[in-house]
Formats: sequence, C-alpha cells, structure tokens
Amino acid sequence: MTTVSLPSIPLKQTAPEPMFHTVRRIAGRIVSDARFYQILFLSVFLMYGIAVLGWDVDAWKFALTVGTCFITQLVFTAATSKDYYSLLSASISSLSLCLMLKTGVAGVVALAAFLSIAEKFVFRVGGKHFFNPTNFGICLTILLTGQAWISPGQWGNNGFLLLLIGSLGLFVLIKVKRFDTAAAFLISYVGLLSIRHIFYQGWPPDFLLHQLQSGTLLLFTFFMITDPVSTPSHPWARIGWAAAVGALAFVLQSYYFVNGSPLWALFMLSPFTLLLDRLFKHSNFKWTQK
Amino acid sequence: MDSKIKTTMKKFLLLAALALGMQPAYSFCGFYVAKADAKLFNTTTQVIVTRSGQHSTITMSSDFKGDVKDFAMVVPVPKVLQRDDIRVVERVLFDKLDAYSGPRLVEYWDQNPCYTAQMEVKSMSTPRSAMSLSKGESVNADEETETVRIEAKYTVGEYDILILSAEESGGLERWLIRNGYKIPEGARQVLEPYIKSNMKFFVVKVNLEELDKSGMQLLRPLQVSFDSPKFMLPIRLGMANSHGTQDMIVYLLTPNGRVETVNYRTVKIPTDRNIPEFIQDDFGDFYVDVYKMAMKREGKNNIFLEYAWNISGNTGVKCDPCTGNPPILADLQEAGVNWLTNNGWNSYNGNAFFTRLHVSYDREHFPQDLVFQETPNRENFQGRYIITHPATGSLKCSEAKSYLRDLKQRRTLELQELAWLTGRDVSKYDNYLNKVQGYLQEDEIIPEQLPDKPTQIHQVTKPAMAAVTDTVSIGQPVVTTGINKDSGAIDQSQFIEEGSDPAVMEANAGNSYLYLAASILLSTVLVLYRNRKKA
Repeated sequence: MTTVSLPSIPLKQTAPEPMFHTVRRIAGRIVSDARFYQILFLSVFLMYGIAVLGWDVDAWKFALTVGTCFITQLVFTAATSKDYYSLLSASISSLSLCLMLKTGVAGVVALAAFLSIAEKFVFRVGGKHFFNPTNFGICLTILLTGQAWISPGQWGNNGFLLLLIGSLGLFVLIKVKRFDTAAAFLISYVGLLSIRHIFYQGWPPDFLLHQLQSGTLLLFTFFMITDPVSTPSHPWARIGWAAAVGALAFVLQSYYFVNGSPLWALFMLSPFTLLLDRLFKHSNFKWTQK
Repeated sequence: MDSKIKTTMKKFLLLAALALGMQPAYSFCGFYVAKADAKLFNTTTQVIVTRSGQHSTITMSSDFKGDVKDFAMVVPVPKVLQRDDIRVVERVLFDKLDAYSGPRLVEYWDQNPCYTAQMEVKSMSTPRSAMSLSKGESVNADEETETVRIEAKYTVGEYDILILSAEESGGLERWLIRNGYKIPEGARQVLEPYIKSNMKFFVVKVNLEELDKSGMQLLRPLQVSFDSPKFMLPIRLGMANSHGTQDMIVYLLTPNGRVETVNYRTVKIPTDRNIPEFIQDDFGDFYVDVYKMAMKREGKNNIFLEYAWNISGNTGVKCDPCTGNPPILADLQEAGVNWLTNNGWNSYNGNAFFTRLHVSYDREHFPQDLVFQETPNRENFQGRYIITHPATGSLKCSEAKSYLRDLKQRRTLELQELAWLTGRDVSKYDNYLNKVQGYLQEDEIIPEQLPDKPTQIHQVTKPAMAAVTDTVSIGQPVVTTGINKDSGAIDQSQFIEEGSDPAVMEANAGNSYLYLAASILLSTVLVLYRNRKKA
C-alpha cells in the first residue's frame, strides 16, 4: 500500500534549505493532484475491509500487487515519458486490484498487476490509453486464467460504508470534473433496472435499493468508470458512452446473469473511447491542470 | 483401547445423539400452503444444491410437523420440469452431509509436566442450529379468472406434483384457492415477480394412497434438476408465510471451488478458537450462541460460511478432523453430482468442492433471492472449536507450579474467548478458574485414570489447503477413527490417499506464469517499437 505523506511545514521558517524546497515542491505537486485523494480514499476502504469486514489479510498478495505495479510503471515510464508522477496512477491501480481481485495464486496476482499497468503503455493512441487499467487487468486475468474472481458481495450492505464511498467518491469526481460520467452511468443502469424489476416485474422498492447498496457498484461508479484519462474526452460523447455502459451492464445482469456486470460492460465498451475521440474532438485530460 | 477414552467417546456419541434429538423442523424454500386449517410451521430448511455448468439439482428437505394430508408447497422453478427431473431421495442423505460438515469440537489433552506417559484425544459433536417458528395465514378468495395453465402433472413417490405456469399472480392465487390450497396473505405480491420472470411453479401435495403404501411416517426430500443460467435459490416466496426469521442451511456441491453469494456478504463463522473445557457438555447450545452472536456482530444481512472443503477424488484428507464420514460417490450422485466417475470401491475421479452456508433470513434484511457464484477458491474452511483438558496425574514436581500458573492464564483467555464468541456473561464461570487454584491447594491429583498410550503432543493447526496436516494421521489411536468404529460406520482412513491436488494448483499457477511471460514480452516489444517509430 502506498502512503503519500503531507509535507511537514514548520511554523517559523528561517533560511529554508534547498532540500526542503524540493520536498515541498514534490509534495505540493502530489497534493494538488486528484490522484492523491483517490489513493487516500482507496487505502481507507482497504483498511475498512480488513479491519471491519474481516477480509483475509494476504500481505504477500498486497505486496506482490504493489511491487509488480510499481516496477512495471517505473520500467515503462523510464522507456517512454519519464513522467514519474505517473507512479501515483500505479498506486491507484494496485489499491484497486487489492480491493477487487480475488485469487490464491501468486502468478495470477502478478499477471493482473502487470496487465493493468502495461495496458496504459501498449493500448495508447494519440497520447491516451483507452482501457481503465484496473478494469483491463481484472477482466483479462479472469478470462485468461480462470483462477481469479471478483466478489461483488464482499462489501455487504452496510449503510455507513456506502455513504463513505459515495461521499468520498463524489469529492474526487468534483476534483476531476467527471460527475457527468457517473451520473450518466447511474441514471441509465438504475433507470433500466427499476423499469424492469420494479415497474414490470413488481419487486418491492427495497429489492432495487439492495442492489444499489453495493460497495462494488459505488466503487465502480466513483473510482473506475469516472477515470478521466481512459474515458472519451468530449463531454457529450462521454455521457453517451457512460449511459451505454450502464445499459450493457443492465442487459448482462438481467438477461445473461453475469455477476459484476458493470465491470464487464466497461471492459467491452472501452475500445469505443477511441472511436468517440476521433469523432468528437476535445483536448485530453491532464491530472494537474494549471 | 483405554477405558477412559472409551468412556469419553461414548459420552460424545450420546451428545451427538442428543443433538440429533434436538434437531429442529425443516421446511422448504418455497411457501407452504395448507389444504385445511392446520397449523403450519416454517422453520429450518436444508437444501442441497449441486451445479456444474448450467445444470442444477436442488434437493429440499422437509420436516413438516403437521398432518401430512395438509402438506402442500409452492416452489418457483425456471422451466417446466419433466417427470425424470423430479425424484424423491432418502432423508439420510441430509443427515450424512450435516454430520460431515457441521461445526466441530476438538479435544486436546495437556501433557503432564511431571509425567511422560500421556496422550491426546480428539473428539467432536455436531451442533444443530436454532429454530424459529411462525404460522401461515390464509386469505379470502376473489372472483375467478383463468390465467393458469397446468403444464404437467406427475406422481413421484408420495407426492402429487403439478407444474403450473401463470400469466398473472391474481389468477394463480385464485387458482390455488379454488383448488383447496390455503395460501398465505401477501402471496400475490410475492408471486408476481416470479411470473414476470417467466418462472414456472412447482406445486406439491401429498398423495395419501402412495404414502400409505410406502408405510413412511415422514415425508422424504424432493429433488428437482434443470438447466438454467440462474444459480440461485428463491427464498422470497418462503417469507410469505413467515413473518419471523427463517433458518436455512445450504450444502453446495460444485466442481471447481467455494461458492459464495453475489448479492449478500458471505462471512466466515469464527473458527479455531480455544474455549473452556466445560463447553463439551453443551456444545450444541454453545454453537447456537456463537452463530447468533456472529449475526449480531456482522449484521443480519449476511450469509455465514460454516464449511468449505475440497472433496475431489484425488484429495487426501476430506475432513480434518472428521465429524462424520466424508460423502462417498453414491451420496454425491444421490445429491445430483453427475460429473464424477467411479474409480473402484468408494473412490472416484474428478473434482468436487463442498460448501456449507448458513443463513437466517427475514423479509427486512433479505429483499432479494440468494444469488450464488462458484469461485476458483479451493481453500478449506471449517468451524472448529478447541478444548484442552488439563494434565492428569500427580502434579507434585517443581515444573507443575509454572504449569498451573500457565493453565490459569490459559483458562482466563478461554473465558474471554467464550464471552466474545457467545456474548455470555462469563463471571458465573469463576469456579472454572478457581478449579486451577484447587489443584494448587490439593497439591496432588489422583493418577488413577492415567492413559498408558505413548506421548502425542499436537500443535493446533489451521486446516491447510488440501494438505495432510499432522492433526489426523492413520493408525493413531485417536478418537476420530475410534468413534466411527464404535458407531459402526466406515473407517475414515480408507478415504485417505496421497494428495495430488497441490499439483492441480501448480498446473494452474504455471498457466498464469506463462501468460505473464508472454504479456511482458509482447508489451515490451510493442512499447520499444513505438518508441523507435517516434524517434
């Protein structure tokens, strides 16, 4: 797990040293980066899962995930952009993998971590990668090995946690200005679910509420599909695309009984980001916008 | 075998028998409908679900307490079942699976610090879960409209079975009432979503002639098989005639690994806990408290994992320790497992995994049916509680002093553990600690019951992934095998073969390394190529 500490600023400052300037500059750059908050919040969720929900603490898995993500990111960054702040992204990917992917095999852990990071450098067109790294890593690893799984029920339906994920997620969304994506996805997914389950099939309202009180769904909505780098750049294209992900997730879940359907829907529709970016020109997202 | 150990074993057999006697009534996951004003009880249900690919077999055990002629029930099924898809099976199958997978009490003996001849004994009994009762209620019939079709009609064993399809819930409700079924209030709302999901209704009542012919007193479990992409259990219907909490144990048999619920959290029951010695007298009650406390702690909207074990043909240890014989091929086939092949006497080829889930559900906390997924997780799990008896024999030597001090400390911890596990007020068990003091004052324990077997000191180990641990091995005079012999059952050691499951895991792991190597190579080449192009 990565922790980025806040800079310690002395109250009285007398003749600051050059070293302090460097630290402060880097720390300031990190804190102004929305990814810093994502890392902070994901770490909180992971700790909550372990401490309160009693998830298995597989220290070796966490270490292997973080290690593989960092090494992969370092090597590829050194070979390409040399923007080492991208290690923040690697932290997010590794935390998300620790939160979502379940497996008991070391090779699978390493594969998922490697795929998540390498994807960003391989599937890159016009300075932009079009798969969400974690989503790509999880889905491809499950498809290839069959030795990993996602556990949509692992969060339970604890109101406090959901509120926490929701509100902290919202904070990140405001920071990266991707509220539109989350809203479009939720409106399409929840809307279709309620039409089918409540209005057509006649389940009581708490049937749907139960569905929505899922930590996995909220984590997906606030921390995955809203990833500003891998989603279409043009606002309207993005909204349409997110709505399509919601609709596909609904179809996969209701007619094909796919568990964790939003993840698979995102995986399938990610390549369309490329097409939408061609059709609707818009400047790419930068993590620290001046 | 030593007389003391025999006595202990008998005591445990008796305990197990008592536990069976206390066994609560069972019911189905559908709702009961009465044909008269009989009191209906909906209590603990036991269900066996086997699933491979799209093929599911569901066996439902009923311990209907009323007059059998009043028995009737409705279960939603995904399609019209054929005659061959419906069977009755013997109740003993449930008893076997229950005994095999129930939470267990393990017994250890301290080594006498002054005396070397000492042995360790393990034993266990299987507790039963708590039960709850509630009544079915009736509703008045409206005017009739015919939107119900009888898709099929069979007599299977002592049951008359109808498969109905309906266009709307009101029609189905009226049809059931018109045909003499009393259905619970609110059934209509609960039936509606199933009708809209194109589910069919499996309506069962008892054929009294057939029941008389068979001479059976109890209704046998019913089994249905079908192909469906849905891997679920309809619990919602069962809540229509029960306002309280219902208890259900689900045994799942699948080829690959542990089953968990997708739409509820699957929580492990606390396990491998050291508890006070006196719990052996009421282990059943103890476990009920543990379960209730776990529910209180974790929330009422969870499902509890009580047992998970790799029972593949090539697995060496099918339970550790065993509270009942592991299911043999015939049992598994009876439960609907059709992917294993016979490999000589009582052994089989192929992979199988056993999962036992326990759920207490009510309308408030379980708004959705249970949806399952099979995971590739083959890690074994069991609810296991450990008691350790103090050393017997003379405690006069100098080492005894520190032993007794440690013993008191250990017992303090055991009581703390008990309080945490069950929520019981443990202050009333103070004499459990004082007994240790008693030893100190008496300064000698009569060594009359000292076992004369060789020393065995075992570490309490967590159940390992399909690996042979040191807690049970063949040929040792431990109770695990002894109980089975005494009860006339098959010796457990016959199931122990050389474990080769780790090899399967290795192969799968190798697969992932291959993919890892390939993807590293591929992505490196691509990135380098791209860099070069740019340059």
